[in-house]
Amino acid sequence: MRYAWLVIRKDLRTGLRRPQALLSMLFFGFLLLVILNVAVPAGTAVAPETGAGILWVAITFAAVLGLGRTVAQEKENRCLEGLLLSPLSPEALFGAKMTVNFLLICLAQAAILPLFFILYGDGFLRGIPMLLLVLLTANAGFAATGTLCSAITAGTGRNEALLPMLFFPLVMPLIAMAVKVSGMIFAAEEPARYSSWLQVMAAFACIFTGLGFLVTGRVIRD
Amino acid sequence: MAAATEYLEISGLSKDYEGCRALDDLCLCLGRGEFLTLFGPNGAGKSTLLRIIATLTSPTSGRVRVRGFDLEEDAAKFRMQLGFISHHSLLYDQMTAMENLVFYGSLYAIADPEARALELLRQVDLHHRRHQRVGGFSRGMRQRLSIARALVNDPAILLLDEPFTGLDQEASALLAERLLLLRQWQRTVIMVTHDMDRGLAMADRIGILVSGRLVFLARRDHIDPAAFAGLYRAALAGEVMS
Repeated sequence: MRYAWLVIRKDLRTGLRRPQALLSMLFFGFLLLVILNVAVPAGTAVAPETGAGILWVAITFAAVLGLGRTVAQEKENRCLEGLLLSPLSPEALFGAKMTVNFLLICLAQAAILPLFFILYGDGFLRGIPMLLLVLLTANAGFAATGTLCSAITAGTGRNEALLPMLFFPLVMPLIAMAVKVSGMIFAAEEPARYSSWLQVMAAFACIFTGLGFLVTGRVIRD
Repeated sequence: MAAATEYLEISGLSKDYEGCRALDDLCLCLGRGEFLTLFGPNGAGKSTLLRIIATLTSPTSGRVRVRGFDLEEDAAKFRMQLGFISHHSLLYDQMTAMENLVFYGSLYAIADPEARALELLRQVDLHHRRHQRVGGFSRGMRQRLSIARALVNDPAILLLDEPFTGLDQEASALLAERLLLLRQWQRTVIMVTHDMDRGLAMADRIGILVSGRLVFLARRDHIDPAAFAGLYRAALAGEVMS
């Protein structure tokens, strides 16, 4: 835990000094929301399911931009080797990188979400606490899957190109569930109707977190 | 050096990469304070050997022990004994020299990483630059800081993979001076290099690795530096066995 905290602190420090990852996530997320908003005919109310789809398109594509950076930055000057030479365990490394990715996605969402409400109307402000729960659960799944995929692709030298090819097929069920549940929240449906979906999303996050802890040690070294 | 003080023991070490044998049944023992320079052509397995000892690559077979700690069985304790310097700095450009050393020192659970970092920065003449980000450092300064990083855990064994690559003459001389200090500090060192003059000047044992096999190993004082180039060529041609 102490080792993981050291890496988290280091990543946050370097991330603040070079905020390209966060800025590119925000820029891409904003751009998608604006483009999709232009595509909606003026004066037309966006259906709850459509709104949920738009929100998750912006979040997913913004997230993938940032996910690869946290592991890829360790390739600069081969810093990853410095970490692997130390007593830091691969599990602690995975835990640290997953936490940083989770925080990065949360930060990006904190900026994307208000813009979504501004552009698509306050009708989507219904059920904010439940929406936050969905976002946090999906973020955990994104962070776990993204960190695992980053670790797998980190040693290939084509991290940027391979990561989306590996990440999107794996995370597709999570995105589908997030869209479904968010749509039901925007439609003001009872939580009992979507709680089982939320549980499956939590299970997805747990499975990929466990998988990450198990396999990172094998994939991160040659 | 007496076998009883062996710090590094390598036995039957082999490594295969997709059917190609990079290291072939390599055996080697080094004592405390010994400096071994390994020469060999590209693809001879020199870097692979260092990467296996550094636990960055797994061996296909064989055993490596450092001060009694086994690479497979005591990986964390094994790594505590090692320092690794390559032509890559393993340093974070966005962090200052001080922050880099404190970070690595903390990873090794050093009692006072700040004090250790300051001590090392003085040793490598970078104390006055401690609050500057590494991204703005010259290649020579990075390499000196890289030495400090590798020494942060006070390692028993230091692995140097082509440490002079990309350095100008002045920076190379400065680095060589720092590396010679390692001998005074009784560090066991394995250096891989193509620079014969420097390699011979620093080492007290010389090895030649060809096609994954250690074809020559001798004490430095048994070698005539003037004749070494010829010996090396003969080793490459398979005409020399130690």
